[in-house]
Amino acid sequence: MPLADALSFFPGLATAAAEPAKDAAALRRLAEWCSRYSPWTAPDRVDGIRIEITGSAHLWGGEEALAADLATRLDRRHIAGRIAIADTLGAAWAMARFAEGKSPVILLPGDCRNPLIPLPVEALRLDPPTTQGLRRVGLKRVGDLSGMPRDALTRRFGEMVVRRLDQAQGDLPEPLSPLGEAPTRRVRLSFAEPIVDPADLLRATERLVEDLVPRLAQEGIGARHLDLAFHRVDGRVERIRLGTARPSRDPRHLVALFKERLDTVDPGLGIEDVILAAFAVEPLPPEQIGLAGHTPTNETNGIAPLLDRLGNRLGFAAVSRLEPRESHIPERSSVRVPVASAHSHASVAPAPDKPPRPIRLFEPPEPVEAFWLLPDDPPFRFAWRRRRHRVTRADGPERIADEWWRPEGPGAGDAIRDYYRVEDEEGRRFWLFRAGLHGGDQSLRWFVHGVFS
Amino acid sequence: MVEERARLPELRERVKWIERPTAAIHGVLPFGIAAIDRALPGGGLTRGALHEILGMGGDEEDGALAAAFAAGILGRLARTGNGTVLWCLPRPDLYGPGLAAHGLDPTHIVLVRAPRDSEILWAMEEGLRAPGIAAVVGEVGSLPAVASRRLQLAAERSGITAFLLRRWCDGGQAARERNLPNAAVTRWRIAALPSQPLPGEPGVGRPRWRVELLRCRGGEPACWEVEEADATAHVSLAAALADRPAAPVSSEKYRRTG
Repeated sequence: MPLADALSFFPGLATAAAEPAKDAAALRRLAEWCSRYSPWTAPDRVDGIRIEITGSAHLWGGEEALAADLATRLDRRHIAGRIAIADTLGAAWAMARFAEGKSPVILLPGDCRNPLIPLPVEALRLDPPTTQGLRRVGLKRVGDLSGMPRDALTRRFGEMVVRRLDQAQGDLPEPLSPLGEAPTRRVRLSFAEPIVDPADLLRATERLVEDLVPRLAQEGIGARHLDLAFHRVDGRVERIRLGTARPSRDPRHLVALFKERLDTVDPGLGIEDVILAAFAVEPLPPEQIGLAGHTPTNETNGIAPLLDRLGNRLGFAAVSRLEPRESHIPERSSVRVPVASAHSHASVAPAPDKPPRPIRLFEPPEPVEAFWLLPDDPPFRFAWRRRRHRVTRADGPERIADEWWRPEGPGAGDAIRDYYRVEDEEGRRFWLFRAGLHGGDQSLRWFVHGVFS
Repeated sequence: MVEERARLPELRERVKWIERPTAAIHGVLPFGIAAIDRALPGGGLTRGALHEILGMGGDEEDGALAAAFAAGILGRLARTGNGTVLWCLPRPDLYGPGLAAHGLDPTHIVLVRAPRDSEILWAMEEGLRAPGIAAVVGEVGSLPAVASRRLQLAAERSGITAFLLRRWCDGGQAARERNLPNAAVTRWRIAALPSQPLPGEPGVGRPRWRVELLRCRGGEPACWEVEEADATAHVSLAAALADRPAAPVSSEKYRRTG
């Protein structure tokens, strides 16, 4: 019915523009808030949220208690909702939307057939044309379908009808894809009185870490990613995500990492749940952890806490080591390797006597305007970064050809470089090269690749 | 009154502690060149302190000489203190083979790349509080006086030596920052000099630097000319220019590669 018609029937009608994007965002936030019940939580189409509570219902004292808690909290936030718990996603979906009676509906384990029988075929999560088709031939209830020959149904309405029926009845598995990566280990702390004070947040963090660490130790693992979620009373979730350079379960170290970021958490009107989850766990034998918390067994472990602090603030790509590589291409013979990736310990034979190498290398090489006389001459003058340099002395050329086994890339024209070490009248020393060959197709270009001391 | 007098010795101790020369706590690292070491209180570079190194001319932007000068010192610090060198910089243009030529094993370095000066100063301070770090280097443009004070205190507390390499990408910033006071115990300026041609060999000769000690807590400014003797990075003093011309220094050498 067009809006104008509706208003003519009922002049005082309150209207609002549809905002699907905002609705979806709100639903997603609500789904994230629901992750207090289980990590496997996802928005379902435009009007639902599915939660896989297998294995987590007992933390709440059973399914009834969990549903009651959810209902109370939704009610407190004035969100109208219907809750259903069943063995299968399809059955829970159907019961939440189409069951008679009050919410929550909780089906007994193994009881996914009979309760569905009286429900309309719309309860099967089919698209509207299919349900209309079913209704047109008189199949109005789910129970009507059970007696039908399956291949006939499939031929007439497509395979979706049979599949949805099987999924709802538990004959066909249906995995739930959660919002995020499923954590391996999780601990939770709830507060009857929401907390706001930063000191309380820190204490909660400490308790959760103390709770998590023994579990990791028991299994001989350490975490490389941690997620600390603060569930606010208004339904928003504030998160601190951490990475560590090496698997860790040192409580002091982990608390220190979280502590540094706690001021980014806005508690709003209060926080009612804090959930700490460990992802990407890796084996971590007990002997790698010092007894006092900080007795490093080797150099890298000793500075690991420092590397974690740096990496969590600046990004782990920003913290790297210089590793020598066997290559005669200058920029490939020394590479930066992020410390978070495994240390390669590549042993590289000491390079044979090479001409001196600069202490600063520009990546990429910077083009210069150069003037030279004879083909193999160094430039007698060049201009670089707003400055002009008169060359007083020079060594070279040292010819460096590209590694022939590498595929020809965009820099294929620079496959041959002639390097010169030049000194200007101030005494500054530069590493210049000429790209291309005399008589080649491309014009010769000059670059400064580095600066000597 | 009696009570106050009783506290006097304690207060004297505290004043003494506050006024103590930093060199006394963590020791010094001698350069091995007598002329330079004589100019430094304690006979070498103070460990557990902040040192500032400047370039000159176009090198104020590139920081090649400052890096080379620091690398020579760091190589020896890393060897004696068996630890990692934390090097914080905005643009990762350090080149491993070049560092190795100045005696610093590049595998001992952890590079920290941060776009802003404030982040570099933060990373340096974190490094100065960490165990297992031999020295901390930071390349910064602007340096608030408070930040330098914090670094100096952190270095003093942990005994880790810190180096600030100043790099300015435009003349305006260089002019503003160059002469600002800060809490570093020494300020050095390294400038390139035209190399001395080798007899019978054309081309670039042995690199020569002018090493200026512009400021030194408990010492006097001084200036030297230094020459790298050959490719294995022997460094010798070509001539002592400024305030100690009488020292017989021409034969002194020190080896940076160890």
